[in-house]
Amino acid sequence: MHEILTLLKPRIWPLTNRKVRKKARGDLLKLFLFGTIGMLFWIGIFIAALRVLTYFEGIEEIGDILGYKLISMILIVSFALLIFSSILTSLSKLYLSRDLQLVHAMPVSSYKIFISRWIDSTVESAWMVVIFTLPIFLAYGIVYRAGLFYYANAVAALAALVLNASALSTIMVMVAVIVIPANRLKSIFIFLGILFFVVVYLTIRLSRPELLVDPEVFDTVMVYISSLETPQSPVLPSTWAYDSIKAGLTGAFKGGLFHTALAWSFCVSIAFILIMVAETIYFQGYSKTQTASARLFKKSRAGWRCFDILPGPIKSFTVKEIKTFLRDQTQWSQLFLIAALVVIYVYNFKVLPIDKSPIKTVYLQNLFSFLNMGLALFVLTAITARFAYPAVSMEREAFWLVKTSPLSLKAFLWIKFFIYYFPLLILTEALIVATNILLSVTPFMMTLSIVTVFFLVPGIVAMGIGLGAAYPDFKAENPTQTVTSFGGLVFMIVCAGYIGLVILIEAGPVYNLFMADIRGKTLSPAIWLWTIGSFAAAFVFSLAAIALPMRFGENRLSKRLI
Amino acid sequence: MIELKALTKKYGDFKAVDDLNLLVKKGEIFGFIGPNGAGKTTTIKMIGGILAPTTGTVTVAGIDIQQEPEKAKSKIGFIPDRPYLYEKLTGMEFLKFTADLYGVPADIFPKKAQQNLEMFSLADWSDELIESYSHGMKQRLIMSAALLHDPEVIIVDEPMVGLDPMAIMMVKDLFQRLAHAGVTVFMSTHTLAVAEDICERIGVINKGHLIASGTTAELQRKANATDAALERVFLNLTTNVN
Repeated sequence: MHEILTLLKPRIWPLTNRKVRKKARGDLLKLFLFGTIGMLFWIGIFIAALRVLTYFEGIEEIGDILGYKLISMILIVSFALLIFSSILTSLSKLYLSRDLQLVHAMPVSSYKIFISRWIDSTVESAWMVVIFTLPIFLAYGIVYRAGLFYYANAVAALAALVLNASALSTIMVMVAVIVIPANRLKSIFIFLGILFFVVVYLTIRLSRPELLVDPEVFDTVMVYISSLETPQSPVLPSTWAYDSIKAGLTGAFKGGLFHTALAWSFCVSIAFILIMVAETIYFQGYSKTQTASARLFKKSRAGWRCFDILPGPIKSFTVKEIKTFLRDQTQWSQLFLIAALVVIYVYNFKVLPIDKSPIKTVYLQNLFSFLNMGLALFVLTAITARFAYPAVSMEREAFWLVKTSPLSLKAFLWIKFFIYYFPLLILTEALIVATNILLSVTPFMMTLSIVTVFFLVPGIVAMGIGLGAAYPDFKAENPTQTVTSFGGLVFMIVCAGYIGLVILIEAGPVYNLFMADIRGKTLSPAIWLWTIGSFAAAFVFSLAAIALPMRFGENRLSKRLI
Repeated sequence: MIELKALTKKYGDFKAVDDLNLLVKKGEIFGFIGPNGAGKTTTIKMIGGILAPTTGTVTVAGIDIQQEPEKAKSKIGFIPDRPYLYEKLTGMEFLKFTADLYGVPADIFPKKAQQNLEMFSLADWSDELIESYSHGMKQRLIMSAALLHDPEVIIVDEPMVGLDPMAIMMVKDLFQRLAHAGVTVFMSTHTLAVAEDICERIGVINKGHLIASGTTAELQRKANATDAALERVFLNLTTNVN
């Protein structure tokens, strides 16, 4: 036990190390910002759960059925999330962490190393799921006026669910690593995990839950509700948690204890099996992981010839950038996720019930179109943060190559800019045009959206590249880590400000132009002047948004010693 | 003290180490040289118990590392070429972490840690975070940690990488003192001058095979390069095989 605790110390000590807190730049701001967002999100879930449950409670006969069905759905989804999250985390912690070589060289048995890693992995994979499901269970307790037993029992049932999910997925991982090397396996699981998430989301979204509040389809809903009472599989750990929590809510003390005990008995058994499996195959799998993985596709150079027209250094960096991007399998899954989100985004516009609104349709369509510019640009900001912002940091230790190459930092940054600019411009314009077509907007709004986006996209991409260069993190293991750094936050804030400012500047003149167009009136010279001034200001801001961050990034990067 | 018997490691169809047999005596400094990709690090990892051999055995201080890995590892001080250290720990915290795992008694630790930190000129940096250390300082810290539990065997991969001339001299001197005291040092290196200076015997590995081993004079004879520097001997041996 002593050795397991010692192995966990490198995870615990940095949290309590005052020096770390003192030195880490922007940590307080980051903590405050993420803390506030997290807290708001938590409160939001709690309020939403409270409102939904209060509403369910008011529905005679089927209110409780709906309430319990919701718990069961939440538990199944949580269990699935825990399984996937645990698969990815345990793969990293058990097979891919950089400190494993150090730890395995020490006189500690591999099963103890395994247990310490498993504890670490369980905590890391589950904390977010647990924290964000707690407000829902709290709301249940309040709405159903449950006693203290419910809360204690719910915590015990959730803890068992977490441990069961973690143990099951870790066993799967250990067995799988024996067959496929861990680094390859991780990419496969990331891909499957995202596929799973997208399928679940699309299923929910395409089932059009908004129809549930439409009285015209009530017959179908009744049929649906009758199917809600179908019992779940008794072999699923989420069913044990569900039975336990449900018993707690109804005050069935013995029933609650029985189901919690059932979950914990499985937990103890699976933990025993887990350690047995680890003792037998964990080190074997770790040893196998140290083998370099072979490339999946080995292919021709023909496709890169189109870059031959570029000067030498520019061509080499461009080709390198595209190749490394495409060969990083974690990027594929992100691209896949983005494609799915774009489909969902566009689909949401398709199902907007604009014609049922009491407000005039043409006005609403164009209002949505105007707001949609902002929304699409926020989507672009998120994508830029994920891909363009980490572009400089992803040079990692190889950044010395850039510094020593016969290419100026300015050219290096502009190469990065253009590599991300073209695909992101096409993506955003496609998004805007598709949603505007679905909204059937006026030609004026269509043109305005296309032109505005055309001028804002380079600014946002330039901010991503420029600020990414100004605050690089060459030690980051993955791009996500870079985005959540101080510079990443600055990028998000500056981008939000920039988009907000341009939308605000354009709002007044656009409203005047649009109304004049609809009413067939002409604008006064003062309003024309205001309109021209506003668009000119937006144009100047856009130029500044391109030039300033790129120069800022170049200056800061050139002062960095590597 | 270190015995490798028919040691083989296969990565798929590729044999990184092929039927390696070797005996390193107590108190001996053994140098392990070879071209890039010859199988040096793979061998070192197998001796250190980080990598399981495909076939064959590794015995350290009379203990089979596959049969009793913890017991064998407790006799070893392992120094990798590119040490990973917990960047958010201080140097002293890292030593404490290592000492706890190697079972260094709590009453001995402070004195021993201080002594090692001073020996490697890190005493003034002991309470600083490792992330602020230079590459050479990290290398010295990992050496301090590896010596904390008075190992019987030191396995070291590229010991001089990142060290300044003074530290190189100190490490060479340290290894020789340790060897006199009965500690076995198994050292992989590309710095042939270091191998020539301090190693009693040198093994040359190429394409996974141990192609020669012995004192510098024996290797010179084998390479038909009497009185030549080790560099020439190395080239003769490895090129002939190629």
